[in-house]
Amino acid sequence: MKAFIQGAGCVSAQDSNVFPGEVRNYEGDRLPVADPDYKQWIDIKQIRRMGRAIKMGVAASHMSLESAGIKNPDAIIMGTAYGCLADTGVFLQKLVTQQEDMLTPTAFIQSTHNTVAGQIALLLGCHAYNNTFVHGAFSLENALQDSLLLLAEDPSRNILAGATDEITDYSHTILRRFGLYKNAHTSELLQSQSQGTMAGEGAAFFVLSAGKGEHSIAQLTAVDMLYRPASEAETAEHIRAFLQRNGLQPADVSLLLTGRNGDTTNDRYYETVEQSMFSNTPVAAFKHFCGEYPTAAAFGVWLAAGSLRRGSIPEEAMVKGQPPVQPERILIWNHHHAKHHSLILLEKC
Amino acid sequence: MEKLMQDLKVQIIQQLNLQEVKPEDIGDDQPLFKEGLGLDSIDALELIVLLQQYHNIRIAKPEDGPNIFYSIRTMAEYITAEKAKQA
Repeated sequence: MKAFIQGAGCVSAQDSNVFPGEVRNYEGDRLPVADPDYKQWIDIKQIRRMGRAIKMGVAASHMSLESAGIKNPDAIIMGTAYGCLADTGVFLQKLVTQQEDMLTPTAFIQSTHNTVAGQIALLLGCHAYNNTFVHGAFSLENALQDSLLLLAEDPSRNILAGATDEITDYSHTILRRFGLYKNAHTSELLQSQSQGTMAGEGAAFFVLSAGKGEHSIAQLTAVDMLYRPASEAETAEHIRAFLQRNGLQPADVSLLLTGRNGDTTNDRYYETVEQSMFSNTPVAAFKHFCGEYPTAAAFGVWLAAGSLRRGSIPEEAMVKGQPPVQPERILIWNHHHAKHHSLILLEKC
Repeated sequence: MEKLMQDLKVQIIQQLNLQEVKPEDIGDDQPLFKEGLGLDSIDALELIVLLQQYHNIRIAKPEDGPNIFYSIRTMAEYITAEKAKQA
């Protein structure tokens, strides 16, 4: 089953209103989101209870619905690896400092992973199918696959699908202890030649439907995942088989959009596979725009869909080759610590 | 009583994360729920925790809640009465 992306919305370290025309650069070991004015979508009385993951998700979902010209979707499906981390932190901290007594309800209520999709539904008054996938770095991909399955069952639906993840000071400190991050400048991140990357956060949502419409941005052709491949060769074979199932050869891909993040070990994996099967294909990257997080591929989908609609790839995204003019097909290949590999194929529509 | 009411306003704003509300925006006799501040049932639970946390008072009869939490003044009167009982 294929789907058409009718609308897209993104909250990230980049300003969605001007990106990719204007790229924001950051220095340090994390990229915070460029918060939009959330009050344009959320009532001030409700916003006070929402953590950032919820606000980002609500904002991105509203942007995507507005661009699709749809008020109420027939399903809300999202992915998140960390869920509402800030509220989870607040609740757990109070649990400890107040010795499990006098715990306030708000942080607990808002701390569950499916709060984001729930809040989107509440604000829209949407009583339709509502599902949240919490599968680490496969959360977005599972949400997209569930969307495709739902569309196969009922092609008349409009599905709101996406992902959100946030950084908190606690989570960042803990993950930094694992040596995952380094101080860098985003414009030089991909050339940094050292271990570690820059942390990121954000949300991206898409309105998917089976038929092409007047607002259609791109076609979501296929989604696939590969967990813990034994080698780069196995990954290359998996990508080749994925393309063949969709009637394609590597040479048919206009652009390979990779999840390069500036970590040498991480990026060497892409390099090895590219040399074996994408030697003549232009290669781009997106994590120097949004940072590394388990659902960062959602930003990649947003960037790729916009590039297919505009018919151009931002120069700043390119890693190898020249930006293709009027690209027909973008393959997003993202891996998270070389364990979770995802393939998302988008085509011009 | 005036000092207690002022403290309550600050505590409520902090506990309920009432963005863009200042203590002087809350009237002493203004209803806290529905009209007025527009608080809801989740806020009621937060206010119960606030009484325990800041004033060491547990509400014995939940049915008294609507009267206790009607306004800043009714909350202050309740706290004053309970403190007198504890003394």
